[in-house]
Amino acid sequence: MVANAVQIRLSVNGESHDLEVEPRTLLVYALRDDIGLTGTNIGCDSSSCGACTVLVDGRSVKSCTMLAVQAEGAEITTIEGLAATSDGDGLHPMQQAFHEYHGLQCGYCTPGMILASVSLIDEYPDLDESGVREGLEGNLCRCTGYNNIVKAVLQVAGKEA
Amino acid sequence: MNATNLAATSVGSAPIRHDAADKVIGAARYPADAVPADALHAVVVFSNRPHARILTLDTSAARATPGVVAVFTAADVPVNEYGLTMFDQPVFVGPADTGRSSVAADISRWEADQIAMVVAETTEAARLGAAAIHSVWEDLPRVDDTDRALAVDAPLLHPENGLETNAYHHLNIRKGDIDRGWAEADVTIESTYEVPHQEHAFLQPEAGTSYIDDDGRVTVECTGQWIHEDRGQIAHALGLSDDEVRVIYLAIGGAFGGKEDMSIQIVLALAAKKLAEHGEHRPVHCRWSREESIVGHHKRHRGRINARLGATSDGIITALEAEVTLDSGGYNYTSNKVLGNAHLSVAGPYRVPNAVIHSQAVYTTTVPGGAFRGFGGPQGAFAIECQLNKLAAELDIDPAEIRRRNALHDGDIGITQSVLPQGVTATEVIDACVARSGWEAPLRPAAPFNPIASLPAETGAIRRGRGFAAGYKNVGFSFGFPERSEAEIHLHGDGDTPDRADLFHGGSDVGQGAHLAFRQIAADAVGLALEAVTGHFSDTATSGDSGSASASRLTFMAGNSILGAAEEADKAWRDGQRPAVGRFRYVPPPTEPLNPETGAGTPNFSYGYMATEAEVSVDTGTGHIRVDRIVSTHDVGKAINPALVRGQIEGAVVQAHGYTLSENLQLSEGHVTTPRLSSYLIPGIGDIPEVVDSVILELADPLGPYGARGMAEMPYITYAPAVIAAVHDATGVWFDSFPLTPAKVLAALG
Ligand code: FES
Ligand code: FES
Repeated sequence: MVANAVQIRLSVNGESHDLEVEPRTLLVYALRDDIGLTGTNIGCDSSSCGACTVLVDGRSVKSCTMLAVQAEGAEITTIEGLAATSDGDGLHPMQQAFHEYHGLQCGYCTPGMILASVSLIDEYPDLDESGVREGLEGNLCRCTGYNNIVKAVLQVAGKEA
Repeated sequence: MNATNLAATSVGSAPIRHDAADKVIGAARYPADAVPADALHAVVVFSNRPHARILTLDTSAARATPGVVAVFTAADVPVNEYGLTMFDQPVFVGPADTGRSSVAADISRWEADQIAMVVAETTEAARLGAAAIHSVWEDLPRVDDTDRALAVDAPLLHPENGLETNAYHHLNIRKGDIDRGWAEADVTIESTYEVPHQEHAFLQPEAGTSYIDDDGRVTVECTGQWIHEDRGQIAHALGLSDDEVRVIYLAIGGAFGGKEDMSIQIVLALAAKKLAEHGEHRPVHCRWSREESIVGHHKRHRGRINARLGATSDGIITALEAEVTLDSGGYNYTSNKVLGNAHLSVAGPYRVPNAVIHSQAVYTTTVPGGAFRGFGGPQGAFAIECQLNKLAAELDIDPAEIRRRNALHDGDIGITQSVLPQGVTATEVIDACVARSGWEAPLRPAAPFNPIASLPAETGAIRRGRGFAAGYKNVGFSFGFPERSEAEIHLHGDGDTPDRADLFHGGSDVGQGAHLAFRQIAADAVGLALEAVTGHFSDTATSGDSGSASASRLTFMAGNSILGAAEEADKAWRDGQRPAVGRFRYVPPPTEPLNPETGAGTPNFSYGYMATEAEVSVDTGTGHIRVDRIVSTHDVGKAINPALVRGQIEGAVVQAHGYTLSENLQLSEGHVTTPRLSSYLIPGIGDIPEVVDSVILELADPLGPYGARGMAEMPYITYAPAVIAAVHDATGVWFDSFPLTPAKVLAALG
């Protein structure tokens, strides 16, 4: 039942997916409903919360603000594919740090928060605490009070909090 | 059972959460992630009318919409009433001749009364179907607030309760001799406090899936705080026995009290049952958008507290009067219980020899008030703590010292004229907060700041101040509620000692990490490593009634039930049973409702005590407030998992920060006009206090598992009054209402 469907090919976590979507389909729905990657959460629908953050060519993007068709040709990384982008065979260091520093409670903000943090550190490797606070301004968490999130990110940045 | 004799190796440590691994790789399954491929999709239709009588409801066009499978309305509900503490709400509002209900089901009493559920092949089709529902209404006079509700000519919103007023629940306290109390007072502080609504804004909006399970039970997979209560309410409305209904919680994306009441659970269950009766066995999925969530569920109560406090010139309280009015909105939800907590909190953890307190819950045609972290405590504490801070200022006595002089001690008679449960540690937390915060040393100088980080920091207009507040909060359900928690443990193994255990528990892990704490307690109690204990949680088919994940009761109650089950399992093991099964139902000491006239009684079996010191900078040029440091001090009895305890403190502090400074739910003509996270502003990472210092005392509660007390609400409760005292210290202005938005601060500074 897809009206005016268009064919697109999305490259997600290193795999290519041929999809039939409506032109207005948002990237987050293509990821969740068409590809079945439900680790990317939806918390608002008004680009306010950051729960839906993914990496598009390594930069964090709120996937509820991008059309699926706009993501064609880019390499998309979701939380499910993050570990594979790092060297070790376990978790990505940012996942490991959130895990160890209790940077989560309910976990709903966590995939978006982790991906936003990965992109932030990648762009500004020399980040200090105020830089982390500024850089994660677009990602809301209602549970943790953010303190442990800051600690986790600083640890990955090589600056133990 | 002597819990303290058990060798604790897991308890008191901070192992990494078993569910955290799933959560960092995106594998945690929240209800919206667990939608079967063949599921139908449902949309809930709100009345969108604060107060109106429905005359006709025509669903024929909706049913004829392509893709729509069914539309359910009041006509389909066997028993059209529900509610957590009283059945005062129809499941669906519908025309007069439909449904069996003790409440008039043809009247919408708030904008999010539900009138239909549309089930379709896709969400889009369901939305088109919902738009095609045609209803005709007769608008009734709106009752926008409690002033209007209490006016003599106000329409009665719940005439079925037999009362002549919308003030439907009252509590009183008459203690000592109030006239003598006023006669002994050298000073009197009199104020009217207004406390605002607050939206929970859990990041995961309501969602769930319903189906008939293999045993024929109507099953709902969703999120919530108490599986057995949800099951009971579903069964009641559907005219089923409890055994015919099953509730399972998947991963829960926050709750904070906001998932204590029904949202989509009953109507989802209804849809699955009705569809199955017509041979349609596909599961039904429903998820709310953020806007539906904010419009569609209850809020922290707004209210007004008229307060009068009398004291000697030494700052000793001689008299206290208070009138607490909470806005229940269109339905009770848990308002009568929340009111009880506000009623007790308004006297604080202090010796009050003479008191007159009246508290009332009032129906209006606005969004219902209900459970939210602190459960009436923040409202009551705000009033008494502001009163005490004003008293301290008036008498030029140190605010911490004035609290010490009035604090309750072990053996003291509390405001309800009974001896407080043993383990009163109000003085200890005040002292610890004073010591840690350097309260007696001069305030550190202001650091310049600018609310807009990219602009240069302001200096000239910044003023600094600090404030103090203390409090107490009950643990567990009060006022005679039959408190209980059940646990079951199976011990396995072929050797002399078990090598593996299964733990079955109904308690809800809303994100706080409860299931890890449960396993830690079980592991120690049966003498196994944490990894050897497998948890089976939150499914009414496998676990007994745990009671709710609320009222700071879960660790306390569940912990005791697990200790009991471990002891039973151990006995069975020694008797040779394999697997050795232990079941236990923990029942704490009984509580009782308050005497209706005097308020005398024993309402609670345990309390937690806390104190907060706040340091703020106020930019008098822009009205912005920066919280420089919070010292949040708690007697938690025993930190079963210190990392989780700190997480609760830090999270509660930031929620209270939003409540105090930025969260500003707006209503206009009975409608919420801030239904998005872009207009309802919860704190982001840049808004939070610069430093949150969590101070944890472990002064055992004689009844708690390993001495643990409840603690998850306490850090919230003293935040607003401490910050508001600090703002007064900085600016000389007392704010009797909040949130302290820059515009409000600026206006008050003149
Ligand atoms: S769901 Fe995309 S920002 Fe909230
Ligand atoms: S952990 Fe719950 S929203 Fe961040």
